[in-house]
Amino acid sequence: MSTAAVNSFPVATAATARALPGLQPGAPVRKSRTPLSVVRSVPRKRRAPFVVMCFGILAVALMAVLVLNISVSSAQYQLVELRAQQSTLTKQNQDLTQQVQNFDAPQNLAAKATELGMVASTGKGQIDLSTLAVTGKAKPAVKGDAAGAVIAAPAVAGQVNVVPSASRNEPLLNRKPAAATPAAAPTVPVAKAPVVRVPALSVNLYGGSVPAPAQKVPGK
Amino acid sequence: MAQNTGRARTGKTPSATRRLRLGLGLMLTLLLVVGGKLFLVQGLDVGGMAEAALKNRLKPIELPAERGSILDADGTVLASSVIRYNVVVDQTVNTNTETFPRLEKVDGKDTIVKIPRDQGIEELATVLGMKQDDLKAALTGTSRYYIVAKDIRPDVEDRVSKLQVPGIVTEGTSKRVYPNGSVAGGIVGFLKDGTTGQAGLEQTQDAVLKGTAGKRLFEIGADGLRIPVGVDQFTPAVDGKDIKLTLNSDLQYFAQQAIQSQKDKLSAEWGIIVVADAKNGNIIAMADTDAPDPNDPGKVAAKDRGVRAVTAAYEPGSVEKMITAASAIEEGIARPLDKFIIPPTYTVDGQTFTDAFEHGTEKRTLAGIVGYSMNTGTVMVGQRLSKEKRHDWLQKFGIGEAPDIGLPAESKGILIPADQWDGRQQYTVLFGQGVAQSTLQTVRAYQSIANDGVMLQPRLIDSYINPDGSEEKVPAKPSRQVVSKKTAKQVRDILESAVTEGEIKDAAIDGYRVGAKTGTSESPCDDGKSGFCGYTASMVGMAPMDDPRFIVEVVLQRPKGSIYGITNGPVFRSVMSQTLRTYNVEPSTGKPVRLPQYAK
Repeated sequence: MSTAAVNSFPVATAATARALPGLQPGAPVRKSRTPLSVVRSVPRKRRAPFVVMCFGILAVALMAVLVLNISVSSAQYQLVELRAQQSTLTKQNQDLTQQVQNFDAPQNLAAKATELGMVASTGKGQIDLSTLAVTGKAKPAVKGDAAGAVIAAPAVAGQVNVVPSASRNEPLLNRKPAAATPAAAPTVPVAKAPVVRVPALSVNLYGGSVPAPAQKVPGK
Repeated sequence: MAQNTGRARTGKTPSATRRLRLGLGLMLTLLLVVGGKLFLVQGLDVGGMAEAALKNRLKPIELPAERGSILDADGTVLASSVIRYNVVVDQTVNTNTETFPRLEKVDGKDTIVKIPRDQGIEELATVLGMKQDDLKAALTGTSRYYIVAKDIRPDVEDRVSKLQVPGIVTEGTSKRVYPNGSVAGGIVGFLKDGTTGQAGLEQTQDAVLKGTAGKRLFEIGADGLRIPVGVDQFTPAVDGKDIKLTLNSDLQYFAQQAIQSQKDKLSAEWGIIVVADAKNGNIIAMADTDAPDPNDPGKVAAKDRGVRAVTAAYEPGSVEKMITAASAIEEGIARPLDKFIIPPTYTVDGQTFTDAFEHGTEKRTLAGIVGYSMNTGTVMVGQRLSKEKRHDWLQKFGIGEAPDIGLPAESKGILIPADQWDGRQQYTVLFGQGVAQSTLQTVRAYQSIANDGVMLQPRLIDSYINPDGSEEKVPAKPSRQVVSKKTAKQVRDILESAVTEGEIKDAAIDGYRVGAKTGTSESPCDDGKSGFCGYTASMVGMAPMDDPRFIVEVVLQRPKGSIYGITNGPVFRSVMSQTLRTYNVEPSTGKPVRLPQYAK
């Protein structure tokens, strides 16, 4: 009810003024009655847009939650996938590093050099370029000199012998990762070199010719 | 009309209010019930539901700390940890699965192929390099956990996983590898159970290398994915520190090969080569014969698994004459060119001393006494010092004082107090009998002469490298002036003359001035009973003499054959020249010192 309506409401007129109930001593107590009035109804609001808006907000909120959820969980999947990728790369890196270290070991380096026909020099000389002084008597290394004791190559489990005794193949050949073996062929588009047909072996050698070393079976 | 309206009010309006109130009351009651339950469940957690659920979701993971590596001076890895896998089978699953499905590419299309158990085993046997029958036996049974193969490489593990053989899982483990094998194998040491050091630096530096394990606690859903908003407690693992040594692995290899060849050639029991930098005390190589390969230490005998350069104390023999000469010069009781008349045998206090070679009465200089390694002359010089002085001088040169380079069982040698010396020992200590010391102690004594009389403590561990890459240098231990600079120079001249004029001509290196001293001592038998079982032959020297940079000592224990025909000269020469070349030391300048060996 608007204020204007209340104000315009005629509460009482002087002529018809009725004595107020409590002010008439002796008069029987009568229940007072709320004066009647015409209640002007508030103009009806249109509800439809509000409801539509509510549903709209609800739908948008639901969609947002859904999208958020999907993105969070897909990010989780991505995270897992990237973690797996990282660990694979770490492992690969570690494996390759180990191979390098294996080839780098002084024993293996010396053995490889000997295999290639290199001989350690015994007599060395020095030339001082500033004074052009030559000191020491350099002697050419002679093949067949006693090479001295052989220090055993490091026995790192799973590493190839740098200097293979029986096979003439490059030791790294059978070290290609499993996935790379089939993929390696198309990357080299050499005009169909005569492929040596190796009879199908029952043992998968992963591109090499020497079977992998036997692994110890615990409890055997 | 007034009554009517009054009645209407009392008749109709109150009922609406009552309804409203009733409804409100009902709602409030329901709310109270729901709210109460909510409070019970969420607030008080009666029945421990929330706790149980959280427990179900929480997953703790131990984050192992990575063990630090051991590196040489150039960063060459001597020990590091790598990922390896164990192949484990649940035998009940494998035994009971006759065929299993696998996604394979057939004619370019992904198809699910049924694989019989035997085929799966055959493929697995190929990948693992095992016999098919052995593998089948390993996969058959009732055990829920059985290790089929240990320490396989990651690429093999990849192939194993791709086979999807039922019951087969792979578990990651950490494995210690030593890429250089027996090169510095004894120094590096090895682990006993894959985690704890048992020998060498792996043992003594275990606490530094190990690090602290971390922990991660997080919530995980039924689909195996982490709940992003859940608990996530993370205590990062602190990796162990890397240890950088002063060794040069190439020279270490060279020295090991040289001493191994010498040992094999002369059928000796063992041999040692130590190469040290005289300027800072760094140990560049410390070679042992038959050094263990830490990848498989069981291949060599237990007695060969240590580092003899620090553990083996033996009577050094004539290399000790340098100490006698240095103390006599420092005390001012002899000079390098003083004249001594030396009879064929020399007797003092009833003790008779002879030399390794026969001679008549000779007039020698002090340089000549050392250059020809004469026991008689050394006693004549040394007896001018009191017994206590002799003891104190040995002590000053570090005899009886263990070098602390971080290896297990470092020997301090045997130097008993002067008042316990017997009648003969008080003179024999002057030429290195009746006193025992390790090779590193001898090297340290010669280092102080090379370094103008200042003794530096030998260093093996150069620095610790933190996981973040920062390097903590291990500070040098306090040094001490043993003899004066002038005395050191005079002793160096005597040592150089021993090569140019004396008996040790085969230590000479073309282009470099070298000073050296040999030592041959009788070696008491290992059983501790009286008597000697062969000799200890050694040679220690320094180069270049114009500004000594390196000390090399070669020791050979109990070579077979006549001791007089044995020389460590060629070994000393090849190791010293290789060292000089590796570090690009300029050829010597100036005239070599040639002190006369005979007095006029």
